[in-house]
Amino acid sequence: MFHNIYPFAAIIGQDRLKRSLILNAVNPAIGGVLIRGEKGTAKSTAVRALAALLPEINIVRGCPFACDPDQPQEFCHQCRQHSNRVHVGVRRLSVVTMPLNATEDRVVGGIDFNQAVKTGRRVFQPGLLAKVHRGILYVDEVNLLDDHIVDIILDAAASGRNVVEREGISYTHPSQFILVGTMNPEEGEPRPQLLDRFGFCVEVAAEKDVGKRAALMQQREEYDSDPQGFVRRFQKENDQIAQEIMAARHFLNNVTFPNNLRTLVSEICTENHVAGHRADLVIEQGARGMAALMKHHEVTVDDIREVAWLALSHRKREPAPPPPPPPPPEHDHDHPDPPENQQDQEPAPEEHPPPEQPEPQDASQNAKTEETPPPETSEDQADPDRQAEDQNRRENAIEQIFEVGETFKVKKISSQRDRVFRRGSGRRSRTRVAQKQGRYVKSTSVAKTGDVALDATLRAAAPYQLQRASGNGLAVVLKPEDLRDKIREKRIGNFLLFLVDASGSMGARGRMTASKGAIMSLLLDAYQKRDRIAMVSFRNQEAVMNLPPTSSIEMAAHLLKEMPIGGRTPLSAGLAKTYEVMRNYLLRDPTARPIVIVITDGKSNVALGERKPLAEALDLAGRLCLDERVRFIVVDTESQGLVHFGLARKLAVAMQAEYFKIEDLKADTLVNIAKDNVK
Amino acid sequence: MSKRAVYPFVAIVGQERMKLALILNVINPTLSGVLIRGEKGTAKSTAVRALAEILPAIQVVKDCPFQLFPEEAPDVCRECAHTECSRQVINHEPLETVERGIRVVELPVGATEDRVVGTMDLEHALKKGEKRMEPGILAAAHRGILYVDEVNLLDDHVVDVLLDSAAMGVNTIEREGVSFSHPARFTLVGTMNPEEGELRPQLLDRFGLCVHIEGINEPAARVAIMERRMAFDENPEDFCAQWEDESRELVEKIKRAIDLYPQVVIGQPSLFEIASYCLDVGVDGHRGDIIILKAAKTLAAFHGRTEVIKDDIDTAAEMALPHRIRRQPLQDIVVDVDRLRRQNLAR
Repeated sequence: MFHNIYPFAAIIGQDRLKRSLILNAVNPAIGGVLIRGEKGTAKSTAVRALAALLPEINIVRGCPFACDPDQPQEFCHQCRQHSNRVHVGVRRLSVVTMPLNATEDRVVGGIDFNQAVKTGRRVFQPGLLAKVHRGILYVDEVNLLDDHIVDIILDAAASGRNVVEREGISYTHPSQFILVGTMNPEEGEPRPQLLDRFGFCVEVAAEKDVGKRAALMQQREEYDSDPQGFVRRFQKENDQIAQEIMAARHFLNNVTFPNNLRTLVSEICTENHVAGHRADLVIEQGARGMAALMKHHEVTVDDIREVAWLALSHRKREPAPPPPPPPPPEHDHDHPDPPENQQDQEPAPEEHPPPEQPEPQDASQNAKTEETPPPETSEDQADPDRQAEDQNRRENAIEQIFEVGETFKVKKISSQRDRVFRRGSGRRSRTRVAQKQGRYVKSTSVAKTGDVALDATLRAAAPYQLQRASGNGLAVVLKPEDLRDKIREKRIGNFLLFLVDASGSMGARGRMTASKGAIMSLLLDAYQKRDRIAMVSFRNQEAVMNLPPTSSIEMAAHLLKEMPIGGRTPLSAGLAKTYEVMRNYLLRDPTARPIVIVITDGKSNVALGERKPLAEALDLAGRLCLDERVRFIVVDTESQGLVHFGLARKLAVAMQAEYFKIEDLKADTLVNIAKDNVK
Repeated sequence: MSKRAVYPFVAIVGQERMKLALILNVINPTLSGVLIRGEKGTAKSTAVRALAEILPAIQVVKDCPFQLFPEEAPDVCRECAHTECSRQVINHEPLETVERGIRVVELPVGATEDRVVGTMDLEHALKKGEKRMEPGILAAAHRGILYVDEVNLLDDHVVDVLLDSAAMGVNTIEREGVSFSHPARFTLVGTMNPEEGELRPQLLDRFGLCVHIEGINEPAARVAIMERRMAFDENPEDFCAQWEDESRELVEKIKRAIDLYPQVVIGQPSLFEIASYCLDVGVDGHRGDIIILKAAKTLAAFHGRTEVIKDDIDTAAEMALPHRIRRQPLQDIVVDVDRLRRQNLAR
């Protein structure tokens, strides 16, 4: 739209990226491409450059939906009415950019304000989905797109039409488009359904070759100093690519796909354990496009090879199904299960608990699990020097890293619905939002956001139209008091703080494996709900912020896998750190509703001050819960042996937290379903 | 409007790196910004605000809310609210232009998405029954400097919007029944205190240069800071007058550098040096290379040379790479790029 776009032909390297974009331009049936890669690798540049190469298409002149004059059966309402006198026009295939801040009404279309007020008629104003019909919908940073917009796009992409039922308008129009998205995996993955909508997926990476890098730098600099001249220099090469695309598009109908190759395609797909059948179709269409580019009349095996990996990379799944969930370690240390082997060997000491299972003192629980000699039992009274030394030695000797145990579907955890307006994105708790995003649920006469609800405003103004003299030639006279604002609602993510007990006592009898499994399950859930998370762990003397508030669940998962266990339990320090993190977070976002998930057995044995560790922790917990915006959940990891202390439950009571055992967190147990229903 | 006196840029004691980075961006706006990381009270904001005084002048269409250069984007004018000038554009009449300094537009941390991208002009809609766009901060920042204090505390939504337009140089609005786009190319200057959390990698990469600053530990310099600040607070006008000569000198130097920049050449060996520098320290993507090249050329121009020397490249790399080096999650941003390179090479 604005001139002097960096020419496609001038992009150095990234051949796969260029190939996949060209293939999509040749054969739109491929259904788009997702470009993944680190920043600064010409992702967006390539897509924008493609726009200049796209061929022209025939359209019905004046039709807002760019109907194809050769396909009268797919005409929109308007064109159907005048189907006998259609004027054919020509237009370049359009690339429509979907900005991340697009509102729902602009994406699907809505009531035309100008028409409504000026002529008093209800007219549909087409949105982006209309504009993009037969063109390319380009979403930069597709993984950051708001969920409800993604839903709309998926819906339209799946059905090829856009159905509008909103603001007193009921309208349907065709909307078929090629979806092109770019994303940086560092920012989180898009939803699987959305992922599957993209025909191809290309990974891009920076060039490793010094010469190429130097050439690339130079070209970019030349472009920046004289864009016009640079574009002119590459005009010829660019035109050539455009012509190739044009020729291939015409040739495409002559390409046949031999039947015997279909078996090959399905074999490739099965080999890679692809979900669904879209991959087969995409490979077929991609191969046809490839053949058209190469001017083969028949698709060859090479064509298929060339495109297969493009269609498979984002659909491929691991060859074997995940190993069966490891049975609880208590029962299997005599007959280790094959998939559990690895796990059994590393934390060997834990897997063979000494017979003195029922321990009388909580402190000695540590000692036992860490295989340290008896002095541990009196560690609260031990002289500091010795203790520190002991500590050091122990840290070196028995810091362990446990495997992540079985993961499961977590039951629904969300904040209460309230009337506070918030901002944000995600999918955990439903809330009213003070931004122009989300579903329009109702209107209000208290105008605050300037987000005018047109239908409601018109309705409010309607009764007075007779009295209000229409002086300015408008059909409807609006006064400020008619204004109605939209109340929008959507789900947003919460902020989850994981407070993880990484002390030695957690390592006992594979408990940490199960705990890590539980945390991982919660993390997976947080990922799906687009929460922000943070992780604080405590062991030895202090609590550490392992992960400052972030949206990158992968990072958390990675950290969790590597989290070492060992040492004593400074629960109070952990709670104090939690307070600090919460306070900072709430200062930044006062309307946030953080959820703190404490994963511990509650056995505190290091105090911050002079008091008894446990009493201090409980006291802190009591004070922590004074902020009503924060919700606490305690996950008790203590095993259900003969003797258990129930300290975590005490902590939960002090904190006014919800209390769960690991098993209780699972979504599908009958008891939980019943409980939820009663609530 | 009486002009408030601004602490002069040249009177800032020390913080040479930061000053250099800002000046480089003034000379060459395609460097796309500076991220200033450092503790509180290290003249971060003072420097950025003072920058406005030393900025060169640009030609702008009179009263244009989008700071357009004449003939820059007639599409925008056609839909612009200023009927007077859009009529002129459609009739191909010459537009009245004014010359004025580049603006420093501040984006407050609490800014809503609406204010940033622009929103519907409600009053106009009620009176005339027409929807029209009221330009936001991004429009005001076009061809200027967008300054975000505490950029790491910015709302996620606003960050996304910033990324969108910083990447494309265009602000596209698709909301509330208004579909509109206008050019928005700006130099992004952000300050942040790393203790309050890191920036998203994506946004980090959008800043061309990154400098770390610390408080000055030398007593003499600290005294000088206090003295100058006091003199400024007592009588701003006098203080500014005192520094006027030096200011003018700097402005002249910048002007000369801008004129010289197109003549700066860089040899093939230097290009290879840059590329291998980036490969040695491990940088994501190619933006690092490109920025080093630009910064090195700008440095040469600033020093009145037409040839890039090794020193330029090293200085440029130290400012262009710290925030681009691939790191492990949670690993701190590398401060000393040169040392890292030597370490990596030694291995």
